[in-house]
Amino acid sequence: MLGRMNKSYDCVIIGGGPAGMAAAMGAMDTGVSDILVVERDPEPGGILRQCIHSGFGLHYFKEELTGPEYAERFLEKMIDNDVDVVSNSYVSGISIDSDGSKQVRILHPKAGLSSIRCKSVVLAMGCRERTRGAIRIPGSRPAGVLSAGLAQKFVNMNGYLPGKKIAILGSGDIGLIMARRLVLEGCEVVGVFEMMPYSNGLTRNVVQCLDDFNIPLHLSTTVARVHGRDRVSHITVAPVDEKFNIIKEKAWDVDCDTLLLSVGLIPENELSEKIGVALDVITSGPRVSSSMETTMSGVFACGNVLHVHDLVDFVTEEALSAGRYAGEYARGTRRPADSIELVPGQNVRYCVPHTLSPEREHTVYMRATQRMQPCLLRVGNLLEKKLRFVVPAEMINLKIKPDLLDKFRGEHLTIDLIPLDDDKKMEA
Amino acid sequence: MTEENTNFVCISCPMGCPLVLVTEDGEIKEVSGQQCNRGAKYAKQEYSDPKRTFSTIITIEGALYNKLPVKLTAPVPKDRIFDACKEIHKMKAVAPVKVGHVFIEGLLGLDGVNVVACRSMKKV
Repeated sequence: MLGRMNKSYDCVIIGGGPAGMAAAMGAMDTGVSDILVVERDPEPGGILRQCIHSGFGLHYFKEELTGPEYAERFLEKMIDNDVDVVSNSYVSGISIDSDGSKQVRILHPKAGLSSIRCKSVVLAMGCRERTRGAIRIPGSRPAGVLSAGLAQKFVNMNGYLPGKKIAILGSGDIGLIMARRLVLEGCEVVGVFEMMPYSNGLTRNVVQCLDDFNIPLHLSTTVARVHGRDRVSHITVAPVDEKFNIIKEKAWDVDCDTLLLSVGLIPENELSEKIGVALDVITSGPRVSSSMETTMSGVFACGNVLHVHDLVDFVTEEALSAGRYAGEYARGTRRPADSIELVPGQNVRYCVPHTLSPEREHTVYMRATQRMQPCLLRVGNLLEKKLRFVVPAEMINLKIKPDLLDKFRGEHLTIDLIPLDDDKKMEA
Repeated sequence: MTEENTNFVCISCPMGCPLVLVTEDGEIKEVSGQQCNRGAKYAKQEYSDPKRTFSTIITIEGALYNKLPVKLTAPVPKDRIFDACKEIHKMKAVAPVKVGHVFIEGLLGLDGVNVVACRSMKKV
């Protein structure tokens, strides 16, 4: 239950967002009953609590829910099943005993620093937003420059508006959705600026968040400078060339008092780094086996801490599976090491998990390096699948059946995305 | 007879199918481009009477946060979004609230358009 904490558990889950909650459900599926979820915020639910728009759950619940509704369904299940949740708490470290059990150090407002013994750990800390510093926008440093997700929390949970006249850099879904939210709450959104020649968000969000409210979307355009002493007074925006260099001669000024940044997310892996699990340089998340286990035995990872997802339904699916493996591990199951390494090939930015086993079915998540329409997804010489449309912002997921891998004798399996020129070739 | 094509992007789900609606003298002849049956329905609705749902917030007293998220159970005409928002913002909630609690029934006199809580909030 909420706020209760024992001295030892089968499974400790770090993070009570969508990944952590689903991991708890997954662990429960395997029959373990002593599960602790550690949450940094005052309540579980994670980022879903501030995503008040609908569009969640179409895959998992087969109905369209808002973020808070999606979170509440899992929260209710956790409470019904007596999963312990400690909120306002922070994990400061994990150590491994000689018998393989883990000690999780938890900072709790009342209990202080305590050490909790457990058999397995699931990392589900999520991700955070890239900031102005990460993209180095020149100019002064006035108030009024903040990340879009932070603004979303201020508006949707606290009821504070970040400003009156808002410019948004980045056309990812958070940026688009915030444009509509701010207009509905009475702000003026002067424009959304996107460095890429296309929007990084879903087309339906461009339609219902920008077009519906006549908010201009400036593609191949970025913020060149921020102006203002105490508060943002205006920004200079400029088109970019094919190499994303600013074209100074074509720059113009935009009046605004606030600049929201929707420029990407970074998995939050300080804890993972501290305990020494290997990270993937591309995803910035842990390297995991097909059982979602990191390079540290009994430590599993899922959700946005592993790689940034665009749909929470996939986070749930991945975390349920990570939770099941963590539960199995707590019950003493040890699986043989995976025999196949998955290699991102042509036009594939990354794939997760990093290794596969021919023993069971897998879901492989991957991202393309570029937009392709249509293209061919090729898994070694085992499988070819035509995809109508791929874009880096939309994750591709692929189910790989064990009988497919049975035929495979190598150690490295390469996944490629090959662009197809036209529909005719696609049929061929 | 004049045949006319109108393009839409379906917003029924994240797929975002590009739709083409063909009309003849203002009468809908066919819809193409959709990958499921919601596409045709959306294009016809969007052509004749565009509607939208949205979420917003209302003030809540006695809860962990100041604001409670609410949503519409059915869409409102696109040009009435701001009227709807204004009406909803007049509401105030007091904790505790259960998810699904109906704050307004028949928003703006529109049948079936209810304003409901997106989450539960305990009294603190």
